[in-house]
Parts: sequence; structure tokens; C-alpha cells
Amino acid sequence: MAKKPLGSTFTDVLKTFFLGRQRATLSILEEEQVQSPYRTMFRNFREKWSAMLGVYMFLAIFLAVFILPIFFPLDTQFQDPTQQNTRPTFSYMKYDKALQGNVASIDGGSVFGVGVDRDGKLYQWGTLSAKLQKMPPTDKRYVQASAGLDHAVALDADGKVHTWGNDRFTLNMIPPELSSRKVKQVIAGHQISIALTEGGEIYVWGNSNLISIPVPKDKQGTFTKVVANTTLAAAITGNNELVILSSRETPFSYIPSEIQGRVRDVDLTERSAAAVTTDGRIYVWGGNDYGVMDIPAHAQGRAIAVSAGRGHFVALLDDGSVVAWGRNNYKQTNVPKLKNIVSIQSSYYQNYAVDKNGRIHTWGLKGYLMGTDQYGRDLFVRLLTGGRVTLTIGALAVIISAIIGIIIGSFSGYYGGKTDMFLMRLAEVVNAIPFLPLAMILSAIIGSRISETGRISMIMVILGLLNWPSLARLVRGQILAAREQEFVTAAKAMGITEMKIIFKHILPNVITVVLVNLTLSFALSMLYESSLSYLGFGVNEPNATWGNMLYGCNDSTVMSLYWWRWVFPAIALSLCTVSINMAGDGMRDAIDPKSIGR
Amino acid sequence: MFKYVLRRLMYIVVVFLIGSVLIFSLYKSVPGDPARLMIEGNKANMKPAEYEALYRDAVKKLGLDKPLVVQYFTWLFNTLRGDFGYSLTYKMPVRQMIGVPMKNTIMLNVWSLLPVFAITIPLGIATAVRRNTRFDSTVQVITIIGYSLPFFVIALLFIFLFAVKLPIFPISGVQTPGLRGTPGRMFLDKLYHMALPLLVMVFTSLGGLTRYVRATMIEALSMDYIRTARAKGLTEKVVIYSHAFRNALIPFITIMTGWFISIFSGSVVIERTFLWNGMGKVIIDALNQQDFAVSLAMVMFYLVLSLVGNLLMDLSYGLADPRVKLN
Repeated sequence: MAKKPLGSTFTDVLKTFFLGRQRATLSILEEEQVQSPYRTMFRNFREKWSAMLGVYMFLAIFLAVFILPIFFPLDTQFQDPTQQNTRPTFSYMKYDKALQGNVASIDGGSVFGVGVDRDGKLYQWGTLSAKLQKMPPTDKRYVQASAGLDHAVALDADGKVHTWGNDRFTLNMIPPELSSRKVKQVIAGHQISIALTEGGEIYVWGNSNLISIPVPKDKQGTFTKVVANTTLAAAITGNNELVILSSRETPFSYIPSEIQGRVRDVDLTERSAAAVTTDGRIYVWGGNDYGVMDIPAHAQGRAIAVSAGRGHFVALLDDGSVVAWGRNNYKQTNVPKLKNIVSIQSSYYQNYAVDKNGRIHTWGLKGYLMGTDQYGRDLFVRLLTGGRVTLTIGALAVIISAIIGIIIGSFSGYYGGKTDMFLMRLAEVVNAIPFLPLAMILSAIIGSRISETGRISMIMVILGLLNWPSLARLVRGQILAAREQEFVTAAKAMGITEMKIIFKHILPNVITVVLVNLTLSFALSMLYESSLSYLGFGVNEPNATWGNMLYGCNDSTVMSLYWWRWVFPAIALSLCTVSINMAGDGMRDAIDPKSIGR
Repeated sequence: MFKYVLRRLMYIVVVFLIGSVLIFSLYKSVPGDPARLMIEGNKANMKPAEYEALYRDAVKKLGLDKPLVVQYFTWLFNTLRGDFGYSLTYKMPVRQMIGVPMKNTIMLNVWSLLPVFAITIPLGIATAVRRNTRFDSTVQVITIIGYSLPFFVIALLFIFLFAVKLPIFPISGVQTPGLRGTPGRMFLDKLYHMALPLLVMVFTSLGGLTRYVRATMIEALSMDYIRTARAKGLTEKVVIYSHAFRNALIPFITIMTGWFISIFSGSVVIERTFLWNGMGKVIIDALNQQDFAVSLAMVMFYLVLSLVGNLLMDLSYGLADPRVKLN
């Protein structure tokens, strides 16, 4: 018996679809054979380039949104105001080449970095706002620089302070007291700047409404080092005592008593503090989240310095190696193999380590592929997970509407008469009311009393419940035509039950038409879901879908300044629906022999 | 014919009653007490006893103290009389409140009709006549892309191009705030604001409609009477525009019914994006403000509208196509 030609069964078609084209060599006799309908359809489909393009595009999107989220998981609760509305880039740690091997001081800001080389030249890199690009005079010899949220501070060899970047909240008004004093350390923090003088005095300027950093009068003049996070500051005095500079009682205030008088180094994350004592031990106190208390055991007793980002700590050990622990959402604790390190500097999600040759090593957050949104969330990760939600809702809504539509359509078409009349009028009513307003009303009424997860399933059910009439009408029409054919009469004569006749004998004959319709209404369901979410009546924050990522983007600021917030979700959604429709259209042409004009 | 219309009208009444029960039960399942919402603002500057009295008055005024069946029939008769209830946000009757938005929506939709038909019908006919040529397949792909793109993506794109990058049109709104002038000047200002939503509306309708015209035209061109007309030696122009196109127009009646409803309901997405004060935006605002009386009254209105529209559609099929028998 001759080998069955490829594509002669429906399974073959699916197999070739997903596993690629398998060429079968046929003899002339075989090629002259009559083709099965599926094979004809498949050939017609494959010959249409737009249909194949649609299939490949959809498969690529499908694989991307279902597989990539495994590697880029979304933490829906995550927000970080310091990272909001940053443009797509990977340049946060792309320091100037001239710094390599020649670095004197380096520091990372929220989305940028600053550095000073041994010749006193100042550099900056990363996402720089227009104000940040106006750097201080180049004729000075700089010795230290620090980067903050949106401003930077530098110190020159004469002990004078220079600041640039954000100039609001009196950030540009360097305290007059500093002009008569020599400064030895500067810090650019979260809308504040701090300077520590050679005389051990701390001066703070900037947005005092947001953060107030009181300096105790009796300690002024004894400080040797100062660090800050976005809410307070901490300083070490000359006799190795630690002082928390805050006007409120915070978890930071509970400094372990045994370390007072022995503190060598300190740094602060957002919710916890870490100190290194003179005997090399590390102490962490404050809020215990993201595993900041899990200090690597081998580091105890050997640490000489500590540095902190927003939620992680990095410690330098006496053998020149580096350990890191704490929050690892941007790989900021994945330290590469390092040795001979002499200084470390971590801030936000960036880490810089400098070895004894002055070479810079970096790890942590380089930037965002698609930028971030107004809450500082990575858009790429949200786009992937959002795509998964959008596709899932669309698919399940179609399945629901397919079940309802096929059952109602079959009964209506097969039985006719009163049943038909009633069911079709029902379809007419559901179809009559404008879709989006009705779906919005249902979502507003039901959605107010269920959880966010319940809301997602509710959207699927609403879309499914409102979407079946067109399919029901199609199935009915097909069944009406098939009902009168001989094989149905034969089946009836053999006494087969009506259910079996409808679903086993007639339905398989019309299934291709139904499949095409389902493909097209899959795209439609996705469009409806994203429209609902775009209007604020679908899936809500913090869950992501392609529609609600575009919520609130019809704003001239977002449109022009933060283009990445609407361009990427819009492109993803459009590509997806276009590809599904192209494939569906190709399928429709392929199964309809009349439409091929040959 | 008369009997058919009578039967259809009776059927409309039945469907309307079923629909109204569904809508009323939705209305009743809305969370929150409408009487409290109505007097909400007064709570702070009132004695508790006075507030209670006011609350009882409000309950009575809204008829909430009566049994559900009575409430339903009161609501139904009021709706039929054109009294759609009281908008809690706007503090005025719904019928009064939706006057201006309705006018705006009708204006936007009617204006979009002309360019849409002026583009889609010739394009659809051209692609149908040149079927399976390079021109046809190009238009096919473009129209697929056209109707696959979400409305709001096109709207955002157009805003970006024509209001942000090239500031030709205003980003949103119906009228320049605070503008006073002659009616002519006011009208021109409104047209200026309408330009961008209109453009988007026309653009979004092109894809689907072009394909529809093409499909009906191909259907008509495959008929026997076309072959007869060609065999008679009629010019291709006469065959296409006189014989085929007229018959292709019949399925257009379905499309027209859709238009008839959307003229009054408006596009929610476009009106929301451009903050166009139309019916779609009224629904969104009403839902955001928990003002369900407005939104459900409007659904009721659309239900009647579409039932009547469907009847008109069937009747006009009977008029346009002598083969269709109404019974």
C-alpha cells in the first residue's frame, strides 16, 4: 500500500505546523493522486505568505510570553520611586573608558554614575537629565564625587563643594559655612546633600521637608564618616561610635550596644543598617526583609568595609574579596570572582569595586531593556507577564464562547422551529446591546466585590458570555445546511440518538469553519480585554496586561517624554492581534475553495 | 406585511420586557445605598435626627420602601415615559444630562460616515474586481492590519503624531475652555477639536468595511446574471457598477443597522481617549462615579434602539431585495 502523503490528516497539519516542514518525496503517481480536503487546505494555507508570517509571528510571541517569564519573574508588589520613568538603556554602569585603571572615586546614583580619575577629572554616565548634563567647571581638580537621586555633588582638591543636577529644594544652595571650611567627604542623597568637614562637622542642605537630618550639637565636630539612605543618615565619630541622624524613632535607632566604640564602617539600605566593627565582625539590624540578616558565615571576623544599596549589602573582606547578601531582584548580589579589591561602592542597584591597580569591576543593574513605568517597575518584565495574562484571558474567553456558541448554534440549527426562534432571539438581544458599555457595567457591578484574581476570571467569563452570538449563528447556518444531507437521514434511520447525530456526525463536518471563526474571535477577545483594561474596567494594577499598561498614557507628558511606556505595549498588542488575524484570514481562504481563484 | 410588522412589534415588547427585568436586577444588585448617596454631602453639617429624617425622605422619594415588584414597574413606566432616573453625579435628571453628550456623539459619528464610505466603497470594489492581483493582496494585508490594531493604539499614535510631534490639533476636549464668540466661531472651534477623533474613527473603520465591500462584491460578481450581462456585451463598467454593485449593496443594510446604533452609543474608547464629551464618556464617568442609574438607563435605551434597528433592517431587506419574503 502506498505511503500516506504528508498533510492528509488534520494531525499531520498540526504536526507540520509546530515541528516544521517535512519534505516527503513523492513519485509522479502519488503526486497525481487526488488530494484529501485537509491536504488541499494545508497547501493553500502554506502558499499564502501573509498567513504563514502570521503563524510564525504568533508562535514567536506565544513562546516569548509563556517561556521568558520563567527567567524574568514579575514581582507584582514591587515598586521603587527612585527608578520611575527611566528610559530604555543599559548604560547605568558604562563608566568612561578613561577611568579604567585610573580611578580615584566612583559612585552610583539612581540611574547614573559619577567618577573621578587620579588626574582630578570628573566623569558621569548613565541616564542623565538635562540638568545633570551641565557639569561643574572642568578647570578644577576633583578628588571625590557622589551621585544621588537626580543630582550629584563633587569635592575639589581645595575642599570646595560643587553640585549639579536637580537644583530645586535649595539643593543648589551650598551652605555659606562651608566656604570657610575644608570639606573631606560629600554625599548626594535622596534630594539632600551632606558634607563632612575636616573638622568633623556635618552640614546638610536640600529638601528638608522630605528628609530632616538633625545633627546633635554635642557630637558636631567629632564625625569621621557619614552615610545616608532616603530617610535618614548615620555617622561614625572619632571614637568609633555610631550615631543615627534622624528626628524620629526608627528601627535604625536600635543599634546593638556591643558595637558602640568599635565601629569601623557603616552603611544603610532602605530598611536596615549594617556595621563593621574593628575586629571584622558584621552586625545588621533594622527591618529583616529580603534576607539582609543572612550574613555569609565566612565573612564574619574578616570584614573591613561595608556598602549598601536599596536592599542589599556588600562587604569587603581582608583578603581583598567581596561578598554580598540581601535583595537580589536585579542580580545585585551576584558578585563576580574578584580579588585584590581595595574599595567597594554600592548604591541603589549598582555595585562598583576598585582593585589595587585602579581597575573597576561592576555588577548589578545595568539598565532596563524597555525602561520603567511611573512606579519604577521594569516594563519588559511587565510586558512578558502582561502578554501571558492577555493571551490567557483571550483564549479562555474564546473557549467559553465556543462552548456556548456551538451548543446553542447546534440545537438551534438542528431542531429549528420554536427552539430556533427562541435561541436566535436571545442571541439577537445579547448581540444588540453595544459590547463595551455592557461589559464595563458588568465589570463595575460584579468586580467591586471580588478579589483581583477573581476579577481576571470574571473578565474572561464576561467576554465569553457576551461573545457567543456570532459563533452560534455561524454554527446554526452550517448545521441547517448539513441537516438535510443524506448521511444525517441515514444516521436517523439507523436509530442513532439525536445528540450523537449533532455532535458526532454533523459537527465534525463544520469544524473547520468554526475553527477559523474561533481564531478570529480570539484576536477580538484580546482586543476587548485590552480595551476594557485600557479604560480601567478590566484587569487592574498591580497585575499587568497589555491593555492596562496603556492606561493613562493618553497624556501629553507621557506621550512625548516617556514614549517607552506606551510604544512597547502598543507594539506587542498590535503585532499579536495582527498575526492572529493574518493566520485566521489565511485559514478562511484556505478552507474555502471558492475564494482561491485558480 | 402588516401582520409581519405587528408580530415583530409584539416580539419586541416581549424581548424588551425580558431585557428590562435583567437590567433591573442588575440595577438592584449594585452595591451601595442610592438614598444615602443622594444625601451624602449633607451628613457633616446636620444633626443625626435631621439626617435620619432626610434619609427617610430620600428613601421615599426614590421609592425604595416599596416591594421589588412595585419598584420594577414604577421604574419601567418611568423609563418608558422618558424619565430615565436621576443622575447622582450631575444632580439632575438623566434625560436632561445626556442632551449635550448625545449631540456630540451624533455629530462625531455622522461626520465620520461620509469619508468612510467615500474611501471604502471604491477601494472594496477595486479589490474585488482585481481579485488575486498584487494590488488586491497588498490591500488585503493592509486592511487586516487596519482592523487588527486596537482603537486606542491608533488613537495614541495619532495623538503622538498630530498633537505632540506636530502640534496641529488639540490633544483632547470638545471646545477651547472659556471660548466665547459668535455661533459660527464656536462651531469652527468644535470642528477643530473634532478633527483628530474623527480621523481616528475613519481610520479604524476602513479596514473592516473595505473587506466587507470586497466580500459582498465578489459574491455578486460570481452570480449568473453577471455572466449574462457580460455575454450580452455590456461594458465592464456597466456590469460592475450597475449590475454587481447594486446587488452587493443589499448586505450593506446589516452594516447600516450597526451604524444606526453606534451613532447614538458612540465609541467608548475613542471618546475616553480624546476626552470627547459624548455618550461613551458619559457611561465611563457614570461607572467611575458609581452612578449606575445613568449607565443602566442608557443600556435600556440601546436595547430599544437595536430592537427597532433590527426590525428596520428586516423591513428594508424586504424592500431592497424582492427575493426576500417577510413572513
